[in-house]
Amino acid sequence: MLPGGGGGRGCSVLLGTCGYSYTEWVDSGFYPPSTRTADMLELYCRVFSTVELNYTWYQMARAEAVARMAAKAPGHFRFSAKLTRTMTHERDAEWPKQVQLYREGIAPLKDRLVAILVQLPPDFDRTMENRRYLAALLDGLQDLPVAVEFRHGSWATDSVFKELERRKVTLVTVDTPQLPGLFPTLDVVTNPALFYVRFHGRNMGGWRSGNMQKKFDYDYSGEELGEWRLMLDRLAHQAERGVIYFNNHVRAQAPRNGQRLQKILAGLG
Amino acid sequence: MYRERSILHFNVADFAVAVERVADSSLARRPLIIAPPAAARSVVFDMSEEAYQAGVQKGMFLNQATRLCREATVLQPRVELYRRAMAGFLKRVQYYSPQVEHGVEDGHLFVDVTGTHRLFGPAQDVGLRVRREVRDGLGINPIWTLAGNKLVAKVSSRLVKPVGEYIVAPGEEEVFLAPLQIGLLPGVYGKELRTMGELQISTIGQLAGLSPRQLMVVFGSRASWLHGASRGHDDSMVMGGVQEAMPVDHEHCFTPDTNDRQEVEAALATLIARVGSELRARGKAARRVGIWLRYSDGNHVVRQASVKEGTCSDFGLRRLAMDALQRAWLRRTRLRSIRLVCDRLHRQSPQLTLFPETSVETRRQEKLLGAMDAIRGRYGKRVIALGRQCPDEPEPDNTDVVFH
Repeated sequence: MLPGGGGGRGCSVLLGTCGYSYTEWVDSGFYPPSTRTADMLELYCRVFSTVELNYTWYQMARAEAVARMAAKAPGHFRFSAKLTRTMTHERDAEWPKQVQLYREGIAPLKDRLVAILVQLPPDFDRTMENRRYLAALLDGLQDLPVAVEFRHGSWATDSVFKELERRKVTLVTVDTPQLPGLFPTLDVVTNPALFYVRFHGRNMGGWRSGNMQKKFDYDYSGEELGEWRLMLDRLAHQAERGVIYFNNHVRAQAPRNGQRLQKILAGLG
Repeated sequence: MYRERSILHFNVADFAVAVERVADSSLARRPLIIAPPAAARSVVFDMSEEAYQAGVQKGMFLNQATRLCREATVLQPRVELYRRAMAGFLKRVQYYSPQVEHGVEDGHLFVDVTGTHRLFGPAQDVGLRVRREVRDGLGINPIWTLAGNKLVAKVSSRLVKPVGEYIVAPGEEEVFLAPLQIGLLPGVYGKELRTMGELQISTIGQLAGLSPRQLMVVFGSRASWLHGASRGHDDSMVMGGVQEAMPVDHEHCFTPDTNDRQEVEAALATLIARVGSELRARGKAARRVGIWLRYSDGNHVVRQASVKEGTCSDFGLRRLAMDALQRAWLRRTRLRSIRLVCDRLHRQSPQLTLFPETSVETRRQEKLLGAMDAIRGRYGKRVIALGRQCPDEPEPDNTDVVFH
């Protein structure tokens, strides 16, 4: 719980990682040796209170599988779910059908769903065509909690933030390498119900390598995470609830950094 | 230490059609049938989804296929072109793992990416990247699926045809398979499938609900395999190279239909030469030879002959094939086609026996076949043949290289 929050109440902040099912996390010691994939969520829930499901980016969410997964987690545990790439990175004329399928697929999460993460590709710049598409996509996801992450800097304008605010859609705050053209790190909260932070790591060399093992290979120092305390305070003062996810999954740096930030926020780090 | 496996399965639906469409973009979305159009009795080698929806199937006679789908364009098969496309596909996949099992020119392969996560990231990311690279580089769009074994990966690819992806998380195999139709389980065909129908077993989950003892009563020695497969268990390895167990299969269509014994035996001799040569090139021996006869009236008969010790000699294969032919060919009705299928393959042992068991004649035959293979390898397949073979067909078309 961080101070602040809409209406002067405390802001409840949940912390977790982007995905939990990595064989590499067994090798790196986050999960005990020989942990099976089927047992990972249960172990993960002992450390974190939320997860961002990223497998839903690779394939369409399927209700029965999502229900089985949700049943393995304790009642207090919360999920965010990434929107499938067929609606963000590989769009075609069939995308409205995909939206419907997705809505059905994540339905079993019910009120345990914190947000649907719409992560837009780096080449999705602010053209008229893309603006129309985004508006139509958000219309399709109406009544669901939605967070939008831009990767192209052209979207960092007040008119975009105002529109997100009008729609009560969360703008994702990102921590990325300082590279030209990327969407900047901002403390703008467009939805008083939720702020959403993603730590991608700051691997300058690996970011555009096309290899996830290089792109997300980064270990945040205590100092770097400590600098985020002020930023998180500012975000918490503007929202009732917040989620923070670490995406630097390589060699289990994401869960380790998550635990480090937990300590810092608790005043122990 | 226990380690879960990550097996990717890639499959290009209607591979030959996909390659032809890359070679000629005007063929996109048009119904296509790939079959030798010159031969009146030729059979369908492959067809597009549009033609399939119209009722065309592989192995169907071309005249019947064109009646079912009159608007279809018929193309001559270009096997060499499909092989090259397959080689291009394979090259992209082999970057991610040395363990790749594949067919000859069917756009179908298994890749074991277990333990590669430190180099390339999560297995699903490899699946997606390969698909993108193949789509962007070759213009074909493979299905990709990911599971903990080949069986589940293959079943899941059957669910998403003709395009898509499917990930079955480890531990989810049994619940994934349970609601699916029993016919989707690879390796369950024909009589076994009919028996299951008689027992009112229509889903894989119903099969999984039976104990090994119950299965033993009906399916005998297959009980143990069926019990495991219905629960999504499969320990088979991804074998590098062409699929180890893939049968060798060749067919000859008669033009016109015939019941002339000499002509039929000559056609069979040609098929035996092809099959024998392919088996020796793959270092395999077949324990079973099947003859498939199709009559003018549409009926067909299958008979098989098997031996304990596999063979790859044309002479050994001929003995088995003639045995099967004698039992298969009992009617006077003219034959439309003859097909030779060699399966139950095993590796030819490189180890010599302690005491020579082969006769002088067998050793002579082996030498002769070895010499013939060497000559064919150097000067072409048609340059030498046994006297009983019928004149061979033209060399495959090598034109239009589109993959590089």
